[in-house]
Amino acid sequence: MLETENIVLFGQNIAAGSCLSGLTKNLRVRKGLIINTQNSENTLCGIGFGLMISKVSSVFFMKQQDFLLLGVDHLANTYNFIRRKKPSASFTIMPVVIDQGYQGLQSSLNNFGDFCSLARVPGFAITNKVDAEEIINSQLVSPGFRIIGVSQRLSKEELIDVGKIYSNKEGTVFQYAEGKDATVVCFNFSFSYGWELYKKAKEKGIDISLFSVNAPTPTKWGRIIENTKETNKLVLIDDSKSENLSCYSLINDILDECSLENKILIKRDMTGDWLSPNLELLEIDYQNILEKIRH
Amino acid sequence: MEKSKIKIAREILRIRLSQMIINEGLKKDDFKIPIHLALGHEAVAVAVDAMIEGEDKLVLSHRNIHYNLARTKMLKPELDEYLLKKDGVAGGQLGSMNLANEERNIVYTSSILGNNLAVAAGIALGEKIKGSNGLVIVVAGDGAIEEGSFYESLVFLKSNGLSSLVLIENNCWSLATRIDERRCSIDVQKIAESLGFRYEKLVGNDTYQYIEKLKAVRQHVLENKTPAVVEVEITTLGGYYLKTEENPEPRFINYHAGPAPEISLREWPLIEESSRDPVFILLEYCRKSVLETASWEILEELKNEIR
Repeated sequence: MLETENIVLFGQNIAAGSCLSGLTKNLRVRKGLIINTQNSENTLCGIGFGLMISKVSSVFFMKQQDFLLLGVDHLANTYNFIRRKKPSASFTIMPVVIDQGYQGLQSSLNNFGDFCSLARVPGFAITNKVDAEEIINSQLVSPGFRIIGVSQRLSKEELIDVGKIYSNKEGTVFQYAEGKDATVVCFNFSFSYGWELYKKAKEKGIDISLFSVNAPTPTKWGRIIENTKETNKLVLIDDSKSENLSCYSLINDILDECSLENKILIKRDMTGDWLSPNLELLEIDYQNILEKIRH
Repeated sequence: MEKSKIKIAREILRIRLSQMIINEGLKKDDFKIPIHLALGHEAVAVAVDAMIEGEDKLVLSHRNIHYNLARTKMLKPELDEYLLKKDGVAGGQLGSMNLANEERNIVYTSSILGNNLAVAAGIALGEKIKGSNGLVIVVAGDGAIEEGSFYESLVFLKSNGLSSLVLIENNCWSLATRIDERRCSIDVQKIAESLGFRYEKLVGNDTYQYIEKLKAVRQHVLENKTPAVVEVEITTLGGYYLKTEENPEPRFINYHAGPAPEISLREWPLIEESSRDPVFILLEYCRKSVLETASWEILEELKNEIR
């Protein structure tokens, strides 16, 4: 951002207090503005698009994705006006997705993909050090509009630093391990679960391919399908609370091309009390999954 | 009468007659898209057009026909746009409710009530950062000021010292309800002044006075790098009374989109003999025979243009 001409970084408390729990600490621009704004999420979304019309790039850092509900009109209607022509300026909204259950009612909406699906907005979920660097470097300031989501739950954990073996040029699919025994695909902010499964599998001598789909809506996942054709065993982990999980689209596409020996879908059980403050971690029986993969 | 004043009078007549031509098309169901006529709104549109200078930006809402006609100076590109033709002012891609024309300073138009205020604030911020010498004019109505984005945007414009003019066309109607049928009174002047805005009110449809007042506001905004609010009292002309079995008492219908069924295209386009009609006000400045001749000439020009 230091090198970008005329950039505006804005949002509530982005250069004050905890700086959104550290997310916006030490922001600097060479030319432009850093604005600690008023509390007006609808207007702030419109302002980003207005800046685009003026050919000025901007990033709107948002404390909680829930507040983006107030700006939904702009995500659909205003963005539709802008994208008729190829915009030269960049606008990124970077919300913190409240997926740490103790926030109570606010945590009931961690459906990052639903926001992106509203108007086919490009989206990127940041889940570890590798995808953070790649997505921020390529997408945070780039012509066009997108939403980059970060997880509140993961902000309390050590950032996973793991080498990748592949990422597509869109920054929507990352692969971290190649194995012959099963294909494990993580969605939304669930990479840490997949990584845990990978480590436990390795201890037992099980070789798995590990992918993360960082796009919250269906994307080009040909490499995952090709990998599944080889392993014939598929494990999907999706921690979103949406009724329309992105992993359903992948299953659909895979079943068109592969006959699976085994399919394991790990998702949230929404039959219980999901409105009250809770731990909100996925309860995964890793040993059971590994047994199923082995057989 | 001086030439510049005649030019302004001709503009009022051209925009009125252009809308009457479009209204005939609406009556015949020629258009697939909704079009919001602005009969009676011509004075402020011509005044804004006369005020706008080089780097100024205009941001409109769903009822934008009068500003688009005033800025484009032609009927055919508008008409073609409404007919979704490639020769339309936006290549047939925007239709009516989102019609913008960047070449003529109309940089954004929204079909969503109150949406354009926030976008205008962003444009004004961008222009400030780029060191622009112009101001951003955003047009809203008495319906849009009920939206939260109105207040939010005013706060942002003032907090960031953005050169802008928020123009509120107050025609007292939102769809089929009058202000007193849907809400309490909103004192725009008090809201504006409480936030430190300069406030002006335009009343009476005198285009010449409107131009002078708007130019003074523009100068104030640019000199002080501050926003202003201008409220315009407007009557959307062409409404009618309707009696039905359900509602035996005749009810006034302020048509929202679509035709004004009781308005017909005619050489002398006066709709109402009162100050609610900008054409009527022209008679204070010019002999009727002169205006009638001008109107006949303009109508012939328009017919030739769209033939």
